[in-house]
Amino acid sequence: MTPRRVPLAALLAALPTLVGVGYAAAAAVGLAGYGGRGLSLDRVVRVLGESAVWRGVAFTLVTAAAATLLAGAAAVLLAVAFRGSAPGDRLARTLAALPLPMPHLVAAATFVFLFSQSGLFARLLHAAGLAASPAEVPALVYDRLGLGLVLALAWKELPFLALLGFSVLAARGPELEETARSLGADPRQVFRHVTWPMLWRGLLPGAIAVFTFVAGSYEAAVLLAPSDPLALPLLTYERWTDPDLARRGDAFVLVLVGVAVAAAAVVVHEWARARWAPFEQ
Amino acid sequence: MTRAGIVRSALIGLLTAGLAVPLALLVAASMADRWFWPALTPDRLTRDAWGSLLAGGRLGGAAATSVALAAATAVLATGLALPLGRALARLRGWRRGLGAAAAFLPIAVPPIALATGLQLSLLSMGLGGSFAGVLLAHTVPALGYASLYFLGLFALLDPRIEDEARSLGAPRVEVWRRVLIPMLRRPIAEALALAFLVSWAQVPLTLLIGGGAVRTLPVEVLAFVRAGQDRYAATGALLLLAPGIAALALGLSARRAEAAPL
Repeated sequence: MTPRRVPLAALLAALPTLVGVGYAAAAAVGLAGYGGRGLSLDRVVRVLGESAVWRGVAFTLVTAAAATLLAGAAAVLLAVAFRGSAPGDRLARTLAALPLPMPHLVAAATFVFLFSQSGLFARLLHAAGLAASPAEVPALVYDRLGLGLVLALAWKELPFLALLGFSVLAARGPELEETARSLGADPRQVFRHVTWPMLWRGLLPGAIAVFTFVAGSYEAAVLLAPSDPLALPLLTYERWTDPDLARRGDAFVLVLVGVAVAAAAVVVHEWARARWAPFEQ
Repeated sequence: MTRAGIVRSALIGLLTAGLAVPLALLVAASMADRWFWPALTPDRLTRDAWGSLLAGGRLGGAAATSVALAAATAVLATGLALPLGRALARLRGWRRGLGAAAAFLPIAVPPIALATGLQLSLLSMGLGGSFAGVLLAHTVPALGYASLYFLGLFALLDPRIEDEARSLGAPRVEVWRRVLIPMLRRPIAEALALAFLVSWAQVPLTLLIGGGAVRTLPVEVLAFVRAGQDRYAATGALLLLAPGIAALALGLSARRAEAAPL
């Protein structure tokens, strides 16, 4: 492949996605698809005017952000605690990385077994005399706040962010910290001015990827999220498979909302990279 | 023990429990015949879920479909991603950014969004609800991951190695056959594993493109969990973990073998 033909190759890689998103955009404004009757913003206005849509979007954004922050905080803790070369450090790093290839569906299914109202956790509460019947156990599956969803997704994404944290500190940490120490910084100052900024900047691209992934994830939401508010991926799926063909077209507007969330995350990522790149030299 | 020592031990304990408890629970649930509230352990054990898997029941069929689908996706995506990633790595400036963005796009777009557009294109080709249609759909995100992987790899690889082979008179096919592919044996294996796992864990694309006709392992596990058939759900979930664990173990041992002095 000669360099000249390369934009063509890039286009081919992106084509299925572009066709999909382009089709959704055309169908959303009535130019294609079910019930398309010429250019009109009626459908966009109607779908975006539904309070269920906005509550679903808010639910998705808040739970995805919470899961990302939780996993990120745990990753920072692990990276700082286990950065050394002692056997315990190496063991902890391996343990933290091991669940990495676990599919989201397995994480969500295991969470159901663990934390549904008759799951293992509920049985332990019963054994400890804290809950007489399943109804007395706090609901973490299908709960309105999405706590179960947040915990399960944070657990699932932790290995990825922890690995990233370990590699950030291993690659750049010792040298810069040593310099700071030799310039007279005490341990607290080294952490505040060197270790912490390095960690969060190193983790940011990964955290944004996690956020995007989690916000678009279908299988965890379908097993753990409540039916009201309905998370954005579930709402999209529901409309797309609606028996009423006229309502199926609504899914295209929701697809565009999902793509917009992902695009915004990528823009934030590029902005942050451009902002911090000069400091990384 | 110092305070830091206690915190570290507690964290290691938590990490161990986070691995061992879910795994033990899945194993127990996969064999539990009766496990009523509030028993902490199953009252009676059965092997029927594992037996039906081996006898080619619903789980066995789904596992076979998933293996075939993931293997085909891995070969297709890796075969396309290798030249694509190499081409993208040769770019400079804004073209490189554009190429990387193109490879990244199918990953960044939510799978459910990808599925709606793909479904219509595949339906119009007569591939909706078929194995081939789901294979093409799985290849889209798998190709994204594998291309980014090869883009990163070729960005680090010195292009002069290829130029040298060519200046010694090797035709293009020979450069691939005798220089690039032998050199890239391990990265190719890793890309195959990556693409395999992307397809292996895929849910929304299979559901929408397969339209319920292509029953992969994740699709069945999802159905079993929602139907409250815990034994089959847990058996399927354990099976879903297997390729990832195998890939991780193989990767680690390969790395260790490489690091060992000769």
